[in-house]
Order: sequence, then C-alpha cells, then structure tokens
Amino acid sequence: MSVTDSAGTIVDAGRGRVLRVSLRRAERAQQVRALLLVLPAIVFLLVTFIVPILSMLVVAVENPELREVMPRTAAAMMGWDGTGVPSPATVATFVRELRQATADGSIGKVARRLNYSIPGFRSVLLRTGRSLPPAETSDADLLALLAGIDSHWAEPPYWLALKGAAPAVTDFYLLAAADLRRDARGTIVTAPPDQAVFVTVFARTFWVSLVVTASCLLLGYPIAHLLASLPPRRGNVLMILVLLPFWTSVLVRTTAWLVLLQREGVVNDLAVRLGITTARIELVHNRFGVYVAMVHILLPFMVLPIYSVMRRISPQHMRAAATLGARPFLAFRKVYFPQSVPGVTSGCLLVFVLALGFYVTPALVGGGSDQLISYFIALFANEIVNWGMAAALSAILLGIVLVLLATYRWLVRGELLRLG
Amino acid sequence: MTAGEDPLVRFVGVDKTFDGQTLVIEDLSLDIRSGEFLTLLGPSGSGKTTTLMMLAGFEVPTRGDIRLAGRSIRDLPPHKRNIGVVFQNYALFPHMTVGENVAFPLLARRVAKGERTRRVSQALDMVRLRGFEARRPGQLSGGQQQRVALARALIFDPKLVLMDEPLGALDKQLREHMQIEVKHIHERIGVTVVYVTHDQSEALTMSDRIAVFRQGRIEQLATPAELYEAPGNSFVARFIGESNRLVGKIVKLARDECLVEVGSETVRALPVKVEGPGGSTQLSIRPESVKLAPDPDRCPNVFEARVRELIYLGHHTRVRVSVCGHDDFVIKVGRGSEGPSLRVGQTLRIGWTVEDCRALDAP
Amino acid sequence: MPRHRPTRATLGWHVAYWLLCTVVFVFLLAPILVIVPLSFNAGAFFTYPLAGVSLRWYREFFTGVQWQRAVENSLIVGIGATVVATSLGTLAAFGLHRVRLPFRQAIVVILLSPMVVPVIITGVGMFYVYARIRLANTLGGLIVAHAALGIPFVFVTVGAVLSTLDDNLVRAAASLGAGPVRVFRAVVLPLILPGAVSGALFAFVTSWDDVVVALFLAGPRQHTLPRQMWSGIREFISPTLLAVATLLIVISIGLMLVVELLRRKGERLRGVMG
Repeated sequence: MSVTDSAGTIVDAGRGRVLRVSLRRAERAQQVRALLLVLPAIVFLLVTFIVPILSMLVVAVENPELREVMPRTAAAMMGWDGTGVPSPATVATFVRELRQATADGSIGKVARRLNYSIPGFRSVLLRTGRSLPPAETSDADLLALLAGIDSHWAEPPYWLALKGAAPAVTDFYLLAAADLRRDARGTIVTAPPDQAVFVTVFARTFWVSLVVTASCLLLGYPIAHLLASLPPRRGNVLMILVLLPFWTSVLVRTTAWLVLLQREGVVNDLAVRLGITTARIELVHNRFGVYVAMVHILLPFMVLPIYSVMRRISPQHMRAAATLGARPFLAFRKVYFPQSVPGVTSGCLLVFVLALGFYVTPALVGGGSDQLISYFIALFANEIVNWGMAAALSAILLGIVLVLLATYRWLVRGELLRLG
Repeated sequence: MTAGEDPLVRFVGVDKTFDGQTLVIEDLSLDIRSGEFLTLLGPSGSGKTTTLMMLAGFEVPTRGDIRLAGRSIRDLPPHKRNIGVVFQNYALFPHMTVGENVAFPLLARRVAKGERTRRVSQALDMVRLRGFEARRPGQLSGGQQQRVALARALIFDPKLVLMDEPLGALDKQLREHMQIEVKHIHERIGVTVVYVTHDQSEALTMSDRIAVFRQGRIEQLATPAELYEAPGNSFVARFIGESNRLVGKIVKLARDECLVEVGSETVRALPVKVEGPGGSTQLSIRPESVKLAPDPDRCPNVFEARVRELIYLGHHTRVRVSVCGHDDFVIKVGRGSEGPSLRVGQTLRIGWTVEDCRALDAP
Repeated sequence: MPRHRPTRATLGWHVAYWLLCTVVFVFLLAPILVIVPLSFNAGAFFTYPLAGVSLRWYREFFTGVQWQRAVENSLIVGIGATVVATSLGTLAAFGLHRVRLPFRQAIVVILLSPMVVPVIITGVGMFYVYARIRLANTLGGLIVAHAALGIPFVFVTVGAVLSTLDDNLVRAAASLGAGPVRVFRAVVLPLILPGAVSGALFAFVTSWDDVVVALFLAGPRQHTLPRQMWSGIREFISPTLLAVATLLIVISIGLMLVVELLRRKGERLRGVMG
C-alpha cells in the first residue's frame, strides 16, 4: 500500500513507510487509552452476565450424570453397539457400580437423568439398586438377576436409555425441545404425544407475539402520527401521556389489568351495570387477558420508534403532494407512509422480540393453556429442576431472537437501536 | 523585520496524512515572522485548516517538525503552547457567562480572583463589550460572540493567535466590519496572527502576507500586492482577484517578453511561468487593466473586440466582449472614467500593456 | 397546512382517526388511573363505588415488616446497581467516543447484550452460576446482576450525549491553557451531566422495577419490592397491593418528570451552539 499526495502521485516508498509507521504509533496510543476505559465494563459484563448465560446454555448439550457416578458403565456403554442387550461383562460392570452408587447415595442424580429419557425409569432403578444382593456373586447370570427384580431389564429400551446417557455431549434435550427423540436405532422420530408439548408452545409464543405486534402497530401508528404532527407544546403534553405507562413498571400495570378484568373487577361491573351482559365474563386467566395486557405494556415500544422517524418527515412533502394534485389518501400511501417504514420495522421488531421473551404478564394473566415459552424455561429451572431442558429451551429462544436481530441488521445495515 | 531576526514559527518539512494513504499536507516549510498578520488562503481541502490545527496542537505532524521561538513544539500538548485560538463556531462555553468564558484562561493559569475580574473587564473593553460579563453566550448575536471569543483568546497575552475562518458565519456587512476590527486589534496589540480563510478578498484586506494553499502545498507566499499584481502561476492568478484567461501557444520566447498566438491574433506577453517555444500557455489579464480605445503607438497590444453584455454594478460596469477568439473577456469600466459610451453589439478597440499580460502555466 | 373543510369521503377517515386516538389514549391510561382511587377503598373490594375512603391499606404497607424490608432491599440494590452501572457505563462511553478501535463492533455488542437477551434467560443463567458460587440469595448478587442490566442504558445515553458535545469546546479549553483534568471538570462534565444523570436514572428504574431476575436470585430475606408484590399477586391480591402500586405510580411520574426536565436542560445548554 503506497502513500500518495493530493494530486495522486505516489510518494517514494521509504518516505511512505515512515509516514505509515508514525501514523500507526499515534493511533495506537489513542486506542490503548480507549481500551483501558472500556475494559472494566467489558470484563464486568463478561464475568457477571455473558459467562453465566453461556455456562447455562452449555448444559443443554451436557450429559454428565452417568459419567460422574458410574464412569465404567458409561465407558462400557460407549463400546456397546446397541443391539439386543449388552454383554455379560458390561452388565457386571453396571451392577457393581449400581451397588456402589446406591450405597453412597449418588444414584439419585443418575436416576433423575434416566427418568427424562423414560418416565418411570427412576423408580425402577432405585428399587433395583436397593434389591441387589450385597456381595458380588461371580458368574451368576446377572441379567437374569436383574430381570428378576424388574422385567424391564430383559428388554433393550432401558439399556438403550443407559447408552444414551453415556456420551459427554448429547442432543437429547435439544431434540426434546423440538418434540423429537431418538428411537432404539438412533434415528430421529417424533416424541409420543403426551411428551410433545414444546412445538405447540413455541407456535403459541410466535402466534401471540405476532398478534400483539400487529395490534400494537394498528393502535400505535395513528398515535405516533398524531404526536408527530402536533405543535411542540401540545405534542409534548400528549407524549407524557404515552410515556406514563412506559415508566410504570410491568408488574404494576399487570396488577392493574388483573384488578380491572377479574370477575369482580371494574370492567365486569360496568358491563353488568350497563346491561351489556347478565353473567360475568371471563376476561382474565385466558388468552384475551394476555393479549390486552401485553398490548398495553408493549404499545409505547411501538409508538416511540415510529414517532421518532415521523418527526423527521418534513410536512412540506405532503404539501408538495397536494400541489401536485394527489388526494390525501394517495399522498399518504405514496409519500408519507413509505418514509415512516423504518420506524415501523424498528417498532415491530422491538415489540416482537420483547413479546417472545415475555414472562411476567402471561404468567400472571394467562391461564394454563396460555403459557409461553418463558414460563416453561422458568418451570424447568425452578420447579422441575431439569437444567438440560431449561437450557435447551433457552438456547432455542435466544437463537430465534438473535436470528431476528441479525436479519433486521442485514436488512437495514445501519444503527440497530433507536431508543427514540 | 530586520534580516537577521529569527521567525517566530517555523514549519520544517511537515507531512500529514490521516489514513496512511493520501498526504493532506506535503513537505510544508513555512516561516512566520513575529508580529505579522499571515493568512493561509485556499479552497476547502487544500490543507490550510490542517496546518492551523497542527500549529495549535490539535493535530500532530506525521513527519517533520514545528518550532515556536526556536523550540520544537511538535510533541507539546495544546494546553502548554500558550497560543490563542479563535474558532469558526466561536466555541464559547454555553454553560458559563461571558465573564467566566473570558476569565477561563486566567483561571487555568491560577490568576487571583481580583486580578481576573480586572483583566476581564479590560479585555471586554478592548472588544467594545464593556459590561457584558453577566450575559450568557446564548443571549448574544453572532458578532458579539465572535468578539467575546477574541477577547478570551487574547486575555492571556499570547505571542501567537490563530483564527480558523472566524468570520465565516457572519453576514456580509458584519463580516466586513469585523475584518476592520480584527485588523485594528492586531495593529494595536502587535500580536502575531495566523488567519485561515477561503475568501480571497478578506485575505487581501487584512494580511501582511498570504500563503496560497493548494492540495497540501503552498503555491505562493507573498504580500497581497505581489499576489495580485504578480501571481506566480495560473492557480494563484485565478484564485486571487479576477482575471481574464486567454489560452494560446508560444511562438517566440525572450527573457522579458514573449509572443503568444491566441486565436488569429498575436499577443505580446510577460513570460512568468512558461515552458518554451511551441508550448501551451495561459495569459492572465486583470479586467481593470484593459484600456478602451488605446493609442496604438503607445499600447503594445491592441485588438478589436465586440461588446456582448453590459452589467451595471454601481461603482463600475462589467463589459463582456469577444476578443482574440474568446467570448468571456471582461473589462471593468470605472464609474468616473471617461471614454466612449458602450452598446451591446458595438465593436471597439481594446488594449493592454505587456506587463499587465502575464504568461502562465496552462492548466 | 390550512384546514380545508373535509370532503364527505375524508370525513369518515378523520372521524375514525380521532376516535381511534382517543380510544388508545384511554386504553393506555385507564388501568393506571382506575386503580389509584381503589387503593383508598375502605372496603376490601376492587370495584366501584368505593365503600368509603380510608388509608388502611397504606397503613398496612408502611407498618408491614416484609414490605418495609422489601423497600429497604430495593433501595440498597437500586442505588448499588446504579452506582456500578453508571461508573462502568460512563467509562465505556468515553472510551468508545470518536476512537477507531479494531474490535469496536464486538465491544458494542457485548455492552448492549443485556438489553438484547430476554430477561428470563438472563435470570435463569445467572441463577445457574450464582447459586454455585453462593452469590444467590444475597443482596450482593442482586446488585451485581442489576448493574449488568443497567450498563447498556448508561452506555447508550452517555454515548448519545457525548456525540452532541462540540469538539471545538474541548479544543478551545485546551488552547486556553486548561490541562485534561480541568477540561473535563470545567467543560465536559457540566455539559454531559444532564444526559449522564438520565442514564443513571434509567439504570435505577431497571433495577427498581425488575422482577424476573429477583425471582431467581432473591431469597426471602432479599425480597425486593417487585418480588414481594409478585408473591402477593400469586397468592391472593390484597388491596395493599393497590396501595403499593399507587405509590410506585407516583414515583414513576416523579422520575419521568425529572428525566424530562434533564432533557430540557441539556437541550438548552446545547441550543446555544445550534
């Protein structure tokens, strides 16, 4: 790369090199100073935020239980080809370690893990462990012994589940999150209906987010337009009216809706008093309540980006369109609306992404069949304590959000966040 | 300035690049004399502002050195240079009053409060803004803000004051008024001023010397009179004042006169920057040096011209004629001058001397 | 644009427009306004008409041990998180201001990530790790977690204010003899302060209103106000909750007005150079 002067002639190589070196040295000092200022925040975020989340997400593909508690069994299972039942030597290893694990109490972890694969496995495993003969009996048919305790041991499925729990890395949770599993032969099949809930939940989450986004757009666009076209003072006052809900916490607003919409609440009261209905309508703990509350909470996030874009649309454009003979609706369609599109896409993306990850409102206002994906993540993490599933669902949710943001970025190729 | 006196500022072989690829300033060597009013003049992007910024310390030369009173200041941070700077957008601190703004450099130098107050009122007096201490910059007009900026830059008695197109944001009348004020302050205080502008008439009015910049190099460094009367090349001739340009070919070349073929005519010109016989050249003739109906015995260059357009401008009339095959030749006829009355379409004889016709490099 | 009498066709659109706007404004404000009077209800119901005006629910809030502890916790965590987030976020904004850094994109992504990741994932992830290092069920853990959530807000706000700062002001101050420290103290700081305080307020509100992260990281003794409210809503909505909600609404209005005042002040300062 050579250095040229303003007229374009190339400067001699030696001088060019000296110049570039000197320039780079000056830049370097600036950059070091900048890095030192940025470093504390970066390190803090890495340690307190990024690493914890990544560590949790990794659990989605981890399979540590069997390897920790019964390492030799795990190793043996890796070596087994999965046909029929394992060899007597492998079974012996299993029995030995089962006895050991039952004695020191570490069997619980393995039992829980295996129960994910086959419900009911846990109680069988624990019972088998307790019913084993105390001492090692050589060359007894251990398989028959096991089958005597519980008939499941004679069949391949339980052994295959053990094999599935053996490798360090697994796709078990991720597949389960998509309502899939691997059958005896290892091919991917759909899970049985009583276990296949997640695709429905994801679909529901998508659908709810879509409806909420569309509603916010329909309600928010006229408001944004009104705010943008008013003279500054009146516009500011109305803006405060839009910002007030925005500044009120989600919890407070959700509580307000619960109070309003419940059977003994204000809305029902009003309906009965005005004679609209005689019986009280179910307005909460169902989908309707979720929609209303979520739209209420997310509406400001739609209004603000659209408003900030609309403010920059010069009123001269509509005037010019009028002088050129365009009817108001045509002018709006061809001149105003296209210029407001960047705000619309920002707003829709923001609302959609927020709605996907929403927890508080659906959890409080929705009924059993209204729970979104966030609810299940919390459920698996807090109550069921199946970190694998919590992580897998989180990973998928996060993946969807990141893909959406990346697509938006690619489409816009500009500043992503406009906080309005 | 006597011959042996050292310059106050010296640029030595300065190169500057921002991206490592193009040179914005190329091999700049410049001496600035103590007490002079030097203007850096040129079109935008010519490097004049970058030069000023390097002198102020806001940019660092990529190569070369800058010396102030003999000492190298290349690595000296701006706050230690003791150089006053006046910016185009005034850069008055909006959150401070006028008094606090002007007192700021004294505060930075830990001057006692009583003395600060005294010197601030002195400084405001000098720029004729007595009593403005309590006002805020937002309450002042453009001209007033500029004067505050000036007072602020001068209050700590710097040896050198830099001004970056300070009058650019003012309207025409105010600008001309401020030019005179700045010049008066310069004469009264005797401080060295380096002034950047792209307005050549402003430069001519105010400067002791002018450095004409183009694409990172100085084309010519001279007094306003020299630049106007004797531009060294066609760029300077075009940039300073107005000039007519006749393109032609050199037929004969002697030391102090050359013959140039322009269209079907032959012109006698002063060779300033020419290559050799057969080469192309551009003749530069100032509109006001063209004589109407000259005496052919006394005037070496006399040609027939046809009047194309007359524009009345009050104190003079611009007469556009066709001559020597060029249609855009302009003559300035002063209001008080006697001479034939002119009509569009009329033919008349015009002429000029050899000295007023400079043969320069062809573009 | 002069108001022409609308034609029959556009009249319909106009009416619809104004009607819709009115409906939306009512929709936005009604819930908040409706529950405020209810918090003064002498009876334990959530309907109008009020059975009488009484402050009993507020009394229950101010005398309730759990509520008061929750307020204390919220304040401690809020202020702690704000201090940390504001310091780190402001430093970062300065660092990235007008400098060409090699991995600038990646750095900005990291700094903004807490705003991008759904809160539920943040809560679950932090819980997973913090529990293992005994940071869960401590106020310190909450402070750290909330600080992380607040950093992006400070970074963006201070960054925005810095970008409006006229470079020439800094240069002028330096040319007048002020060293870097004095330039910062006397010129930069006063001009960015309104924006920086706004950013700090955003960080505070993020912590003050957070319920998801608190759900995971706060034990019974660390319950913040929102966490305490959550328990209340899940179990049984007592009207005390409405009193708490009303108080929170008043505080929100106060904070919003402060931010608006700061914004106007910042604009006034900057308007000079326009």
